Amino acid sequence: MNTPSELIAELPQPTVDSQPFWEGCQREQLMLQHCADCGHVFYYARRLCPACGGTQLSWQASSGKGQVYSYSQVQVAFQGPHWQSQLPYTVVLIDLEEGPRMLSRWHGPKGQVPQVGQRAQVTFPEVQGQRLPYFQAEEGAAP
Amino acid sequence: MPKVSQEVVIVGAGETRVGKLPGMESVQIQAWAVQEAAADCGVRVPDIDGLINLDPYAIPNSMFSSTLAEYLGLKPNFLTTVDVGGTVTAMTMLQQAVWAIESGHCEIAACVYGENTLTGRPPGAQGLALRNLLGGEEWEEPFGLHGMVTPYALLAQRYLSQYGASEKDLAEVALITRRHALLNDNAQMRKPMSMEDYLASRMIATPLRLFDCSQVSDGGGALILMSRERAQARGLKAVSIRSMAMRSTHNSVAQTPDLEDLGMAAAGRDAFAAAGLGPDDLQVALLHDAFTISVLITLEALGFAGPGEAGNYLRAGHASLGGRCPLNPHGGLLSQAHIGGMLHVTEAVHQLRGTAGRRQIPGARRAVVSGNGGVFSVCGVMVMEA
Repeated sequence: MNTPSELIAELPQPTVDSQPFWEGCQREQLMLQHCADCGHVFYYARRLCPACGGTQLSWQASSGKGQVYSYSQVQVAFQGPHWQSQLPYTVVLIDLEEGPRMLSRWHGPKGQVPQVGQRAQVTFPEVQGQRLPYFQAEEGAAP
Repeated sequence: MPKVSQEVVIVGAGETRVGKLPGMESVQIQAWAVQEAAADCGVRVPDIDGLINLDPYAIPNSMFSSTLAEYLGLKPNFLTTVDVGGTVTAMTMLQQAVWAIESGHCEIAACVYGENTLTGRPPGAQGLALRNLLGGEEWEEPFGLHGMVTPYALLAQRYLSQYGASEKDLAEVALITRRHALLNDNAQMRKPMSMEDYLASRMIATPLRLFDCSQVSDGGGALILMSRERAQARGLKAVSIRSMAMRSTHNSVAQTPDLEDLGMAAAGRDAFAAAGLGPDDLQVALLHDAFTISVLITLEALGFAGPGEAGNYLRAGHASLGGRCPLNPHGGLLSQAHIGGMLHVTEAVHQLRGTAGRRQIPGARRAVVSGNGGVFSVCGVMVMEA
């Protein structure tokens, strides 16, 4: 198992749009923006609703649950030699229950890959001092 | 319906040597490509008064169209730099050249790509990961996504799972384009590839192997356009753009729509409707093949094969030279060179003029060119005709 101290990442640089999202991660909450005008729930953070252009936006915590849309086990350190320690690792696209699709990293035993369609839930391992929203198999769900 | 003027035509196509061009900077490579295209149609370089180019990706510049114009000694009336991604950039360049000539802003336009991506990469840069081209650093890098292979690997895994397709379907694209490249003296990959070779190539990001990925290349390609009237007066064989259409649905991989909603199908529908043509009317397909998966998705989006059926279409020989509609006779990005897809357009010109040499498709009159920039972020389809 990757222990948190072993994980590395290029840490996000929050913007005026995204600060509530990354702060939510520190509280272990996956925050999503909701549009009051059309009801659209979206990811990633923006200053307007990408569906209707509405600006009455609020932040609400997601259930953090969803399904694996796709995954890839990465076997090359594209970032440079300092990423060798992470190999192989798995990048996932997750379809959240609330609707949005998000890119994330699979958090599980080294070498484990999910299945397309598998139920997944968010987890917030600490990576270089910051909690990031990664995904793991949903507890109690059939793989 | 998007219309393209038939009164402006392509008369010249040129390409540099591809592979390693040590010591050459991007400006020299682009200049060389323009010289080749001008020589191809008997245009004097100083007579070019419209210039459209692509800013290099490996080492980006600013105002690169005037950099190139100055190097070539041009004093253009119209110049611009275009970057919408992949072969869609080439289509957009052509569109701009047609508009500029049609509206009297210039008379002879050059469209050019080229850079030293292979030998000019910053030290330590790995594979295709020059930088995060999708601009989604905040939403991609924290999750370990870097470079272009993993985004396409995510699409590929979804495709395989959704349709029950196999890695051997991906392999067909690599094998066909390699066979075709063997007929091209200006191709980086000149060794035959077998299914065993493909399966033995190392995994990069599942399910994509090394041989699912395009070349990293130094090289350039260019096209020359002028009015049909001027081309006729000069006795030049012209290729026209019967139609083109594009669709952008997203940029970063995190925003990728479902496979069936990627913009290629919409761009294809528009381009075919505007041309009044369909897949059965085409003799050659120049499909953007930065990764093998792109070709499977594109063949299905354009109606050459049904959902999940592209592998069978390829195995049946329909996309091989001698088949129904050969795919990338020049070897494509996978086995000739990755010059952003510009050589898909120069190849289309050669095939339609009958100047493609050993890989000429007899009687080729119409070609389809597809492009996908980013991770199918910007899709474009163009129908060309001699």
